[in-house]
Amino acid sequence: MLELLQLLVDGLLDGGVYALLGLGLSLTFGCLKRLNLAYGATAMLAAYIGVWCHLRYEASIAVVAIIIVVAATFIGWYVEQLCFSRSDDPGFQSAVGAQDRLFMTDNGEMVALASSFAIWMQLEQLAVNLLPRHLNPFPSMPIESSWMIGGIAIRQDRLLLTLLAAVISTGISLWLLHTRAGLSWRAASDHRTAAYLVGIPVVQLQTIGFILASALSGIASFAVLSLDGQVTPMFGMWVLFKGLVAAMLGGLGSMLGVLRGGLLLGVVESFSQSLLGAQGREFATYALLLLVLILPRHSDSGRRASWGIRI
Amino acid sequence: MLEITQLATSYGKIEALRGVSLSAKAGEVTCLLGPNGAGKSTLMLTLSGILKPQHGSVKFEGEELIGKTPAEIVSRGMALVPENRLVFPALTVRENLMAGAYRRRDTNGIRSDIDAMFHRFSRLKEREAQLAGTLSGGEQQMLAVARALMSRPRLLLMDEPSVGLAPLVVAEIFFIIQQLHSEGVSIFLVEQNAHMAMKVAQHFYLMEQGSVSFSGNSGELAEDDLIQRAYLGQQRKT
Repeated sequence: MLELLQLLVDGLLDGGVYALLGLGLSLTFGCLKRLNLAYGATAMLAAYIGVWCHLRYEASIAVVAIIIVVAATFIGWYVEQLCFSRSDDPGFQSAVGAQDRLFMTDNGEMVALASSFAIWMQLEQLAVNLLPRHLNPFPSMPIESSWMIGGIAIRQDRLLLTLLAAVISTGISLWLLHTRAGLSWRAASDHRTAAYLVGIPVVQLQTIGFILASALSGIASFAVLSLDGQVTPMFGMWVLFKGLVAAMLGGLGSMLGVLRGGLLLGVVESFSQSLLGAQGREFATYALLLLVLILPRHSDSGRRASWGIRI
Repeated sequence: MLEITQLATSYGKIEALRGVSLSAKAGEVTCLLGPNGAGKSTLMLTLSGILKPQHGSVKFEGEELIGKTPAEIVSRGMALVPENRLVFPALTVRENLMAGAYRRRDTNGIRSDIDAMFHRFSRLKEREAQLAGTLSGGEQQMLAVARALMSRPRLLLMDEPSVGLAPLVVAEIFFIIQQLHSEGVSIFLVEQNAHMAMKVAQHFYLMEQGSVSFSGNSGELAEDDLIQRAYLGQQRKT
């Protein structure tokens, strides 16, 4: 019994990390309805730049943190301008008409997906060229200790990350719900043409949202790496996969959903690892993802089936 | 109040507006009639800054609007109730109204205007916390009108507010148009329902294939042979 409980706790705490990784992806999707495949590579290149400054100029851990977040922000801006910037005619939606739109493939979506894939490769290669070694030390603030509560070990570093994810996602949710800017964000994501008509600067909001999400990837990667103490070229891929699964389980675009999705993913991984081993864990993860995608989607309110940004 | 000259808008190679000239006077309800595909909605979207015209001019209270963003146009006092309503389906009724006031900064004024909207459209009050996507067509139309009014426009553009609605609801919409007119809001109305439009509008234009083919008041409209046949039907002759 205690073992099962320990598995659950470990799973939840790992899940908090996944949620942290998925937040930015979910935010981008909510704002733009576009999947940013370069998300993990953005986090990785930013981390590599931070590590490079640390190795070269012995930048302290606080400076590295700032460098990573700033770098992620700029890389995000670069990705947005290249792949996602939509200067399309705002009247397009209404001019083409609702019926026609159902049968039209949205070319922009494919272009954004394909080009963000290309940028993923580009950013990752840049990072590897910057630091060619496989394993690079990351300035760490190791929190090795665990709390023992009733025979259950709670790793403090994981708990910290989980709390960070919870705070950020709750913060964004509250902001979306209760501020004027949050409302305009939801409106722009809900209906572009209508948002233009009431005077919301849709394109600017989307750019800002994208860049903020990229900054989040910087925060997440610093938090995770500083506790791990090292970074490898697999980091970008790992961020994208875990983040994407967490965000999809929770419903892309949903801010609290990604928290639920991350925790679910962590628990499933933890149990399947112990029951089926490492390969079984991967199998269970993707089986879970498949199940969620196949099952009819009913979201929080039951009727709100929008893909837009939401709580 | 609104002066449109030689306005031309295209979708790629398709010319939707081919040099449209018309005007709307302050304090009047101006109505634009025309068949589907004549370019009426294109005109409305061009006026609101959503579509960019190839050439031509739109002057609102003497100021050129071409080249201005939709946001700047809303701030200057012109708001559109779009075709098919286009409410924000995933926002609540109250949030839709707040979004309509996006360009305003006077928090207290916005709050009292929302109350005024709920007073005017009592059914919206009952649905205040409901998602707009769950409202009936008539309620969504009311909401679209209320949302546009939240920007305190001096000129309200309305694109086929009666389309797809039950006769009783259509009557309600036109009652609201009359009410707004008597309160001093100028209205530029696009309609297919010529009978109803004749009850509220003072001046009429007819648009066909991207250009204006008739201009006159309701008396002249009733006299015009072509319009009689096409828009008012045979029953008026008997």
